[in-house]
Amino acid sequence: MRLWHILQSRLRSLFFRDRRESDLREELQFHLERETERLQASGLPRDAARLHARRVFGGVEPIKEACRDARGLSWLETLARDLRHSLRRLIRDWRFTTAAVLILGLGIGANTAMFSVINAVLFRHASLPEPARLVDIYQRSADPGGQDFNSYPAYLDVADYTDLFASTMATSIPHGATYQHEGTLRPALIENTTGRYLSVLGLRPSLGRWFSPDEETRGAPVVTVLGHRTWRSRFGADPAVIGRTVRIDGVPVLIVGIGPAGHNGTINIGIVTDFWLPIASLEAFGMADALERRPNESMFLVKARLRDGVTVAQAQAAMDILGRRLAAEYPNEDPGRGIRVVASKDIWIHPQFDGPIIATASTVLVIVGLVLAIACSNLATLLLVRGASRAKDISIRLAIGATRRQLVRQVLTESLLLSSVGGAAGCVLAWWGIRWLRTVELAMTIDLALDGRVLAFAIAVAVLTGIACGLAPALSATNVDLLPTLRGEGAAQAVAPRRLTPKNALIIFQVSMSVLLLGCASIFLQAADAERTKPLGYAVDGVAMLETDSRFTGYSAAHARTVYDELLRQTATIPGVESAALTRGLPGGITGQRLVVEGTAGDRESSVAAVMISAGPGYVETLRIPLLHGRAFDARDRANTPRVAVISETMARVYFGTANAVGRRFRLESEPGSWTEVIGVVRDVGTGLVDSHPHQFYLSFTQADAVPTTIVARTSRDAADLLAAMQRKLRDLDASLPVTTAKTMAQARADARTASQAIAASLVALGTLGLLLASVGLYAVIAFAVTRRSREIGIRLALGAPRQRVVWSVLRGVAGLVGIGTALGLALSVLATLALRAAYAPAPGVSLYRPTVDPVALLAIALIMGLVGVAAAFVPARRAVLTDPLVALRHD
Amino acid sequence: MSDQTDVLQGTLDLLIMRTIALEPMHGWAIALRIQQVSNDLLRVQQGSLYPALHRLEHQGWITAAWGVSENNRRARYYALTKAGRKQLVIEVSKWDRLSAGVNLVVQRT
Repeated sequence: MRLWHILQSRLRSLFFRDRRESDLREELQFHLERETERLQASGLPRDAARLHARRVFGGVEPIKEACRDARGLSWLETLARDLRHSLRRLIRDWRFTTAAVLILGLGIGANTAMFSVINAVLFRHASLPEPARLVDIYQRSADPGGQDFNSYPAYLDVADYTDLFASTMATSIPHGATYQHEGTLRPALIENTTGRYLSVLGLRPSLGRWFSPDEETRGAPVVTVLGHRTWRSRFGADPAVIGRTVRIDGVPVLIVGIGPAGHNGTINIGIVTDFWLPIASLEAFGMADALERRPNESMFLVKARLRDGVTVAQAQAAMDILGRRLAAEYPNEDPGRGIRVVASKDIWIHPQFDGPIIATASTVLVIVGLVLAIACSNLATLLLVRGASRAKDISIRLAIGATRRQLVRQVLTESLLLSSVGGAAGCVLAWWGIRWLRTVELAMTIDLALDGRVLAFAIAVAVLTGIACGLAPALSATNVDLLPTLRGEGAAQAVAPRRLTPKNALIIFQVSMSVLLLGCASIFLQAADAERTKPLGYAVDGVAMLETDSRFTGYSAAHARTVYDELLRQTATIPGVESAALTRGLPGGITGQRLVVEGTAGDRESSVAAVMISAGPGYVETLRIPLLHGRAFDARDRANTPRVAVISETMARVYFGTANAVGRRFRLESEPGSWTEVIGVVRDVGTGLVDSHPHQFYLSFTQADAVPTTIVARTSRDAADLLAAMQRKLRDLDASLPVTTAKTMAQARADARTASQAIAASLVALGTLGLLLASVGLYAVIAFAVTRRSREIGIRLALGAPRQRVVWSVLRGVAGLVGIGTALGLALSVLATLALRAAYAPAPGVSLYRPTVDPVALLAIALIMGLVGVAAAFVPARRAVLTDPLVALRHD
Repeated sequence: MSDQTDVLQGTLDLLIMRTIALEPMHGWAIALRIQQVSNDLLRVQQGSLYPALHRLEHQGWITAAWGVSENNRRARYYALTKAGRKQLVIEVSKWDRLSAGVNLVVQRT
């Protein structure tokens, strides 16, 4: 009860201060009047009575003050008062406040947005129940430098070890397919898994069920479990979707369940798997051989849950024995290098990919952290400058009786207020940034969300900086001797400009971080540029392509072929068309294969890796790929004629020992009886990976008796017009054939570069941001230096020093700082480049761009920083030059 | 000026609370009552009275409310709260102990 009363009283005094004051006045007034009346009653005349009463009463104001003091100020009232005061102060110094809020907001916002991207792509690890029991099992690849995966038959052997593993599952790497939804065709990612998939991971479907055992047999009708994210975004989270049929690659598939919420795929790198299908259904999609082949380019991942009490070492020992047995039983098929068991928690994505991925992630993290560092140091500089200029103000307050504690509390409140506003601005900016990033179109869905942890961290850092840097000058200012500071001689006690004061150190830090940031941005620009100018090896101008999917129309193969042949004939008649060809898939699409060259031993050690590109008659001519020897495909090559192939120059040289390998033969490792003869050699082409795979061979779809899907044509006129004409012809010919892709080659190339361009653009933006921040910091410091040395400048000018010399003396100190900072930043940039170069050493199967130290870029950065420094110094320097000596002398 | 006995702060609180224990009063009436009941031995100064009243209110022992005084004017009336009553008993016993102790020492020496 008492507590309630106290609280009421405190709140009342907080909000109704004016009423309290008038109440008090009225109360004392009443007392005075009653006293006057009493004295009147005892005989005094009114005026004398009042005078007497007043005198006895004493001063009203001291009593009022005593009453106010007796109430005491609760901490709530103190806080309110400090906040009001800080707000007024900040509004008065609006230039400083705006700058500080912008800096904080930009730093926190940019940092959070970029880090959320990284987080989505790289760090969002699924939180699975009991992750310590989960292991990944790989077959070591035959190629010592190759990637380890697994094959389905080997999985079946591993699954037999039920004494070691409580459950095992195999899943395919997510691969692309097309599905039909509400009439339109959409790309999708599919994983083919076994039935125990969810139980190994420890998850449950969010709706419906997983596959049942009879759905896992070959030949059973195909069912699917829809991914949760896709269900929400594309199917409207409609529970009635279960039981519906959707066509995937033309095959009708029944939806039986919805995947677990938050589970976007087995490989957790931010891409979203849309459908899970039973592994046995690969047969329905024409990939039955993937289920039978032992060599591990079948690309399956095997995970298992260990039984209680079984350790990873025990499992590994058992798998070693299994590995040896398989190598002995299947000498020609099994890679023969053993089986590896790895605890799932020890890897991010894949044991061999983790290295470069972590290097990239670290780089981007560092870059993003740099921005935040620059922002914080910038804020620190501004606060230090401001704090130093308030030394006199603080001294006055100390002199008239404020306690140190009160002053520190006020400064703290101000810093916190500033940081809160800046933090709020940062949140808004981060949210916007993520929204914008989401609109960047990529081939796969990436799960991008604002990460609360990062935001909290960034805000915490900024707030801490704000507090520390606002507090430091207050604490030191409250320590000074009052008198000299009040007299304005504080400036005389200032240290010489060259010494390493905190302010100077901050400037050097900011400049060097800015330069480093620009250096990193230039590395990524280098990579993006290299990708852009990479020679493709085939024609881009005037080429257009149209891809359709006849699987969804229900056409028979023969009918589909007729339609395509007619389309080809009609396309050739479009005015301006020089050449046209049919093929399967989009030009440049590759499939990894293993080959055995004729003349080498047929065992697994002599098989070599290459990539297959699907082609057809006229393909090589249409794309203007230079034919070096022999011939390309033509009408002669059909399903019943001997198998032929066109190979790339490098493949000819390396695998066949001669540039002219026409007439030599090779076979696919998986087809022991069927030899393919080389009929032509062409130049290598760029295949879309960052570094092109040099061993390429082309097969004609006509020989596989397959249906073409794409028509490619080249015109001497505009490619966009050609594309429109092709689309018209297709519509006139067969309006029911759905089009999956319609692009000019130039568009396709540009689309492939979207991701890296987005990254480069973001980094350039960040670099510019860093520059901006550094320049603001420089400006603040120089402006302050000029103001502080006004008197000195005035004296010099009055004594006749030329203005230029005076300006130069002001700028000299700062120029030194900028110079040191730039040099430091450049050195760090070079180090970073070299470190990345080492980290991106050629990884098996994938080559990443290895950055080189570019002296031109470094010079450009140094020049930019110099210009920025000059620009920042310009205004204060001008002010110094135009100072009237008399005014400067009187300045204090 | 007649001599004014300075009253200790703690005892002033006690006096105030005791005075208004029977009925709510305004500040002037409290001072008058104390003076009358103590046979003019104790005179409370306004400079101590009102701060004491406000402090007691702040601490929750007494409440204040506006009312109409004897001569039909607005005055601020103070009354004891329930907690105040309990505190009064404690204060009285404290005073008894203190005064008894002081008496003993003074009479001894």
